[in-house]
Amino acid sequence: MAGTLQRQPTVTPARRLAWRAGAVVTALAITTLFLALSGRDPRLLADLVVRSTVGSRFGLEDLALFLTPLLLTGAAVTVTGRIGVWNIGAEGQFYAGAIGATAIGLFLPGPSWLLLPLMAASGIACGMGWILVPALARAYAGVNEIITTLLLNFVAGLLTTYLAVGPWHDRVTGALASTGRLPVRIPEIWGVVHWGFPIALAIVLGLAWLTTRTRWGYQITIGGANEQAARYAGIPVRARILGVMLLSGGLAALAGMFEVAGTVHRLQGGLANNFGYFGIVVAVLARGSCLNVLPAALLMAFILNAGIVLQTQQLTSSAVLAITGLVLFMIAIADELAHYRPVTIRPVTPRPATSAEARP
Amino acid sequence: MTDLRHTQPDAPPPIAPGTPPILQLQGICKYFPGVIANQDVSLDIAPGEIHALLGENGAGKSTLMNVVTGIYQPDGGEIILNGYGQSLAAPQDAIRAGIGMVHQHFKLVPAFTVAENIHLGWRETPFRASAKTLEARTRALSDRFGFSVRPDAIVADLSAGEQQRVEILRVLARQARLLILDEPTAVLTPAETRDLFRALRAFRAQGNAVILISHKLDEVIDISDRISILRAGRNVGTYRTADCTAAGLATLMVGREIVRRDLRARAPGAAPIAPAPVLSLRAATCRDPRGVETLRDVTLDLHGGEILGIAGVAGNGQRELTQVLTGMMPLSAGEILLDGTPAPLADPAAFARAGIGHIPEDRLRSGLAPSLDITDNMALREYDRPPIGRHGLYDRAAAARLAGTIVEAAEVRVPDLATPIRNLSGGNQQRLVARREIRIASRVLVAAYPSRGLDIGAIATVLRYLTELRDQGVAVVLVSEDLEELLNVADRIGVLFHGRLMATIDAATADMETIGLLMGGRSTQNSPARDGGQA
Repeated sequence: MAGTLQRQPTVTPARRLAWRAGAVVTALAITTLFLALSGRDPRLLADLVVRSTVGSRFGLEDLALFLTPLLLTGAAVTVTGRIGVWNIGAEGQFYAGAIGATAIGLFLPGPSWLLLPLMAASGIACGMGWILVPALARAYAGVNEIITTLLLNFVAGLLTTYLAVGPWHDRVTGALASTGRLPVRIPEIWGVVHWGFPIALAIVLGLAWLTTRTRWGYQITIGGANEQAARYAGIPVRARILGVMLLSGGLAALAGMFEVAGTVHRLQGGLANNFGYFGIVVAVLARGSCLNVLPAALLMAFILNAGIVLQTQQLTSSAVLAITGLVLFMIAIADELAHYRPVTIRPVTPRPATSAEARP
Repeated sequence: MTDLRHTQPDAPPPIAPGTPPILQLQGICKYFPGVIANQDVSLDIAPGEIHALLGENGAGKSTLMNVVTGIYQPDGGEIILNGYGQSLAAPQDAIRAGIGMVHQHFKLVPAFTVAENIHLGWRETPFRASAKTLEARTRALSDRFGFSVRPDAIVADLSAGEQQRVEILRVLARQARLLILDEPTAVLTPAETRDLFRALRAFRAQGNAVILISHKLDEVIDISDRISILRAGRNVGTYRTADCTAAGLATLMVGREIVRRDLRARAPGAAPIAPAPVLSLRAATCRDPRGVETLRDVTLDLHGGEILGIAGVAGNGQRELTQVLTGMMPLSAGEILLDGTPAPLADPAAFARAGIGHIPEDRLRSGLAPSLDITDNMALREYDRPPIGRHGLYDRAAAARLAGTIVEAAEVRVPDLATPIRNLSGGNQQRLVARREIRIASRVLVAAYPSRGLDIGAIATVLRYLTELRDQGVAVVLVSEDLEELLNVADRIGVLFHGRLMATIDAATADMETIGLLMGGRSTQNSPARDGGQA
């Protein structure tokens, strides 16, 4: 009998990584092919993308600016995933965080060393408040959190727009659709890259430690793997779900605070720039591991940055979504294919019935 | 269908010489990654016989039956039906060929009536299917095959035995000539088992055949005509049942001699039964969310150094009793005493810290996190205490050392501790859970169906764990549906029926029939005429 493919129950990390690298390369190859078919010079575009992302200081700074919110929203979705909950509302909590930070920044006078922590605290509190109702409903009434968190995104987005063009509208410079420029800003450390970037990196590393090396993290892992077993072991699953969801809301909100205080410096509609939704993509790629959020967010940031470059070349902005979708699709296929490996089955010659056979 | 009822009823019918077997397997092979599930299995099933298939867990019985029912394709060998070679590409092919299987876990729609379940997905269901038509057809089928069912009853309201009759009737209605039953008596009372066997004999008398998969040797010897034994995926022999003894079959199954020892006998130096109870229930009552009493007025005492067996048909309050005893479920009324003082609120972690271990009924669903590795699963009970849990941390290295200790004590061979626990066999999972719980059970161990689904060797090991623990002075509660096991191991046996503890009797003097009556809801005082018992 010839060799066949058989599914392995587990996959080694190295093997999965190899398949995923192949998937990304394939997705990029398909993208290149379509760009070539639409009459563009792929080599020129590739050269441009590399130069304006990793190939220049300007590109690297942009990459870091994209990476900062993605690290936090990716981590926000990843931590809830560890207890089996999907926070689809990082986008909304991002806005809530931005609103909370802006309220302090716009209306509270004070030195920046005092205001910035206050803005962060206010933003985080708003983000936690934004997820509080879905979290309580999920933990104590079993209400599906995917729907509740998702729907609140639209509320938060519209609320932000309302504040930016309504009560908080900048009437001094008459800017079209935003609040006035915040008087305080997160200090830069490298070009336009501000302190939010190293803080986000540190937070992700801290979460990786928290989720795998602490009692709290163990309880969450068990709760996510099998809620019944967690109850059997006396783990307070509901309290843990509540805690993890609040943490998640706080993380996404901090991303919103960083964005408004470090990068954009004013509250405006569309501020979240889909970072909350791309956080879901990052979490899917990270497969529940906070450490994996780092490379996953990097890949996502690269794609977003490349998308900007492509737009300067008259490509539609939907191209970014298409490429993201293609990469995810290829990685999903690769994750499944990584389970299969060829095996050869030794041929067996059927023998007649054994002598132990006794007929009635 | 040939009517052969002119001979003595229920006896195997005379078969004309040269009649081909209903089913003939020749050299069936089936492989999975790293596992030989079936290797060169040859078997034939003659018309008019009940053929028992014996084997330990993992011997390849289920795989073989999945091949026969078209769920798996064999990697080698031939399937010959009524003398003609045939390939069964899908379960539908097997049904069309007259092969019907009744699984251990019933595949009925609980919210539908019996008649609706019988007619579900059946080509002969009339287009205009009114409830009345379906019920009339069901009644006719029920009379024809001798499986009495109530056509208009909702399946969810039926007992396990009744549900099984529906399942069998469903298969028979589709003109099955070969009926495959997987552990059919596991959920039945002794009386229901007798009814089932009577019906199977009637089915055989019409020239049909039955393949019976079972672990219970006495039953197999009682009902079958021939016995085939699978071991490590191979057929190690087919024997006429008349030539077999239980001991001989057990030896063939495991490939070694099973020593049947009286497990109630204490080893020298064993702890005596403690006079004061360690854990007690006083008029304990539980209600489910609908307000139905699932545990009613149960009063019992657990003494160190003693095994209390809990008998009863599944679903009569066993789950609630184990959950109450381990702090997983609060009482609606009554109280639970630990060392004579009221126990804290229902908190499984607190009960575990108090030295109460719990081998849960469904280990994969509630005792383990299947996707996590062995280390994380073995730390489940001790993650919050040193050396693993210090200062709110989770020390993975210490957890791995603990897992290594448990794996060694359980004598389980594992590739490495990072293997997801779902990749282990059911028997190995059970051993690991048992060992994990025994470690923390310094005072009480509640073991719910610890031998369910295990092979003889693994059962012996788990029961030995329990008796060793008893000898160390721990109070053991053994919930089981296997009366023989309870009679062998327990010192006292309590019988649950509809949430009520019917009686607690001395195991040394108890007999199967009394327990069977209690399981059927008859208290001994109320039924002076024992022979009238058909509960």
